[in-house]
Amino acid sequence: MTLEHVLLVSGIIFAIGLYGVLSRRNTISLLMSLELMFNAVVIAAVAFSRFTPPAGLADGGIVTANEVRAALTGHVLAVFIIAVAAAESALALALIFALYRTKETVEITDVAEMRR
Amino acid sequence: MNDAFTASGIVSAAFWLTSLLTIAAAIMVVTLHDIFKAAVFLALSFVGVAVIFFLLNAEFVGVVQILVYVGAVSILIAFSIMMISDVSHGSQPNRGRYVAVTVSALVLAAIAVVAYNTNWTLNSSLEDPNAIAGLTGQFLEEEYASGDGRIVDLYAGDTTTAPSEWALQRAQTGVLADSTPTIGGLLVREFVLPFETIGLVIVASLIGGLALMRGRRNEPEARGGG
Repeated sequence: MTLEHVLLVSGIIFAIGLYGVLSRRNTISLLMSLELMFNAVVIAAVAFSRFTPPAGLADGGIVTANEVRAALTGHVLAVFIIAVAAAESALALALIFALYRTKETVEITDVAEMRR
Repeated sequence: MNDAFTASGIVSAAFWLTSLLTIAAAIMVVTLHDIFKAAVFLALSFVGVAVIFFLLNAEFVGVVQILVYVGAVSILIAFSIMMISDVSHGSQPNRGRYVAVTVSALVLAAIAVVAYNTNWTLNSSLEDPNAIAGLTGQFLEEEYASGDGRIVDLYAGDTTTAPSEWALQRAQTGVLADSTPTIGGLLVREFVLPFETIGLVIVASLIGGLALMRGRRNEPEARGGG
């Protein structure tokens, strides 16, 4: 298990999610594929946090506690991404419900009023 | 924890097994026509990602992943699927399927090429004993001892001492010992503004969701024109 391996797995999951977003018509499927892409990005963030040292540690000099703490910035980023993704999915599902109530459909190909 | 366990086979094998499971579940999510089964496989892949976090020494992120994704997002999606009857005809692929395969394959190729051709600075390349000691979690008590946020020399008085075999191996295989309290400190110190902003974003999405879901069934048509 090296950084490259984890990044490869993250890239595969991202590509699968991208394929889902591009190829599905159902908005709920789109949302699920989007969540897969979010997860892939979070894996990459945590992997970088795990395998690479903060710049302050790598360039030598006095080691301060702030530099050491910076090693966990990736984890903080991951928590932020998860929070935003959860808010986004709740809002997206509300939008899908509104769409279903007004147009009786959840297929994106049926929602094309703004396309000319 | 003994080093042979951390460094070698078992963690690696668990990682590849979990990765295969997660990728298989993700493929099921994007190919199954039955959306409800797709949602179940989505929950499975969320669990797989959480296990990958645990294997990457990110316990806090793994627990948050299980709480938020497996516990909340999956349930939300499952309830939505059950309440929208339109899903009975399943999720059909659209016309751009081959374009989608091509684009995803290209993106994956780009990510793989970059990941393998970049010369990453790795934890295992650190040479400063204090940096290694800091990364392996020996810094927490020392920080307060020095008072100014600077880590005291852990090998003070005996500068010829190299970091122990244990510390070197932890630097290559492990990271900060106490990650959860450190993340808590980061959230309310360095990242307090983003942290508060996230709270605002969540409240906004909550109100937005409620406003969207409330509907306007009983309201007169021309009410204020807006």
